[in-house]
Amino acid sequence: MTLPGSHMKNTHPTRRGANAALLAFFGAASFAAASPALAQNARDPGAEAFVQTKAQRVITVLANKGMSDAQKKQVFHQAVDELADVPRITNFVLGKYARTISPDQRARFTPVFRTYAENVYQSRIDDYRGEQLKVTGSVVRKPGDVIVNTTISGGQLSSPLPVSWRVLGGGQNWKVVDVQFKGIWLAITQQQDFVSTIDNAGGNIDVLINQLQKSGSGSSGGKR
Amino acid sequence: MREQDQSPRLTTQGRRFIAAGAIAAAGLLVLAPAAHAQDQVPAVAAPAASGDTTTASAVHDPIEGFNRGSFKVGMGLDKAIFAPIAHGYMAVTPKVVRTGVSNAVYNLGEPNTVINHVLQGKPKRAMRSTTRFIVNSTVGVLGLFDVAAKMHLPPRGADFGQTFGVWGAGPGAYLYVPGMGPLNVRDGIGRTLDIVTDPVSLYVGGFSTDFGKARTGVTIVDLRAATDPAFRALDDAADPYVTTRSAYTQYREAFVREATGQAEDLPDFDAPPPSPAQSAGSVAPKQ
Repeated sequence: MTLPGSHMKNTHPTRRGANAALLAFFGAASFAAASPALAQNARDPGAEAFVQTKAQRVITVLANKGMSDAQKKQVFHQAVDELADVPRITNFVLGKYARTISPDQRARFTPVFRTYAENVYQSRIDDYRGEQLKVTGSVVRKPGDVIVNTTISGGQLSSPLPVSWRVLGGGQNWKVVDVQFKGIWLAITQQQDFVSTIDNAGGNIDVLINQLQKSGSGSSGGKR
Repeated sequence: MREQDQSPRLTTQGRRFIAAGAIAAAGLLVLAPAAHAQDQVPAVAAPAASGDTTTASAVHDPIEGFNRGSFKVGMGLDKAIFAPIAHGYMAVTPKVVRTGVSNAVYNLGEPNTVINHVLQGKPKRAMRSTTRFIVNSTVGVLGLFDVAAKMHLPPRGADFGQTFGVWGAGPGAYLYVPGMGPLNVRDGIGRTLDIVTDPVSLYVGGFSTDFGKARTGVTIVDLRAATDPAFRALDDAADPYVTTRSAYTQYREAFVREATGQAEDLPDFDAPPPSPAQSAGSVAPKQ
């Protein structure tokens, strides 16, 4: 990857530096005015409080060194119901196939996805093993649809990890529907993964269900 | 055009930069219309013709067949070479050492980061990154310790791919290149420029020097170790190719938004896109 640079190493640095600066200057000059500050919508304290409490709880459980893996799994299973809107997510990850899935298939998909997602999400959160969650702000996309921004720190994290939570609802009834870290939304990614799998199976949803069942039964996904 | 006025004064080395600029400009011209179209998309998800993609994650992948082949080769290479090296490295080094190595690798990229902050018209960030580079290269012992972060100068990455994004270029077609991983046209051109114009390889030593070779080797091992959780996540995916494509695309778009400050365009959570039959036939009944 560094190959192109190899033939240019012993040249006159000063002149090159000047040229780079020149290029940079014109670049800066022509684009300085190009970034309009986007007006952010108001924050939602209710949604922020919800994430602070419930998401912190999940993180605390997973960071607890005194708890066995089996215990963690069980507590996580309960915590998921308080934190996340599982039926909504289950529907979302099917993408366009949410419209065509038969009741029978849905009945099979729902528990299979639940097990699969719990394994996957638990090991994802476990990878980073932070301890404290701090809400840093929120953006109301529209009433009842809020992105809550947080950072997770402590534990094994050498620097705070920004994590965003998309929560839907209002009043006392908020639920998380998606989680973003490093810019990647988990449910959106999952949806593309699943839809593509069904597409490649000629639209047969059973193929996905069977595949998830297999990876779900193979102990916990992603564990080493 | 302005560049041409200056050309008589420039040496051959200078022309290389102009060439680089020209490549950049050409890249932008190719990509600009796509970016423009994206800007116009309102916050409400308008189902695309293909049906299954959301506005937040629409990916243009015209050579999917080829890419899938490349992906297989890339993952094979990873299993055979890169993963064992990275896992060995992770097994024999404590976390502190790996953090130090990551810091040093990042520090060597900092001058390139400064250039891009300037190109993006962000003088404050450029100053901050410059200070980081000076402090970390000296007090931080050749970048091993991120002293600057403790002085409230946290790292703020930037590269040419991001700069093109700030200038309005869309990602263009998705590409998977074995050994380089997921890319798109914009970030591929960006990465080439990152390498060609990298001040550290120009002034300290490029790939032909021992320093350059060592740097490249360490960078690859560090990157693979840092992305190990992502590789593990792929084990759980039903379609690892699409998961990689989706995650990479979102990651890069978020990186561009980080510089533009633009709000993210997310799909409506409760309105699934039209079913395959509907999108193939007539327009969806809703609306």
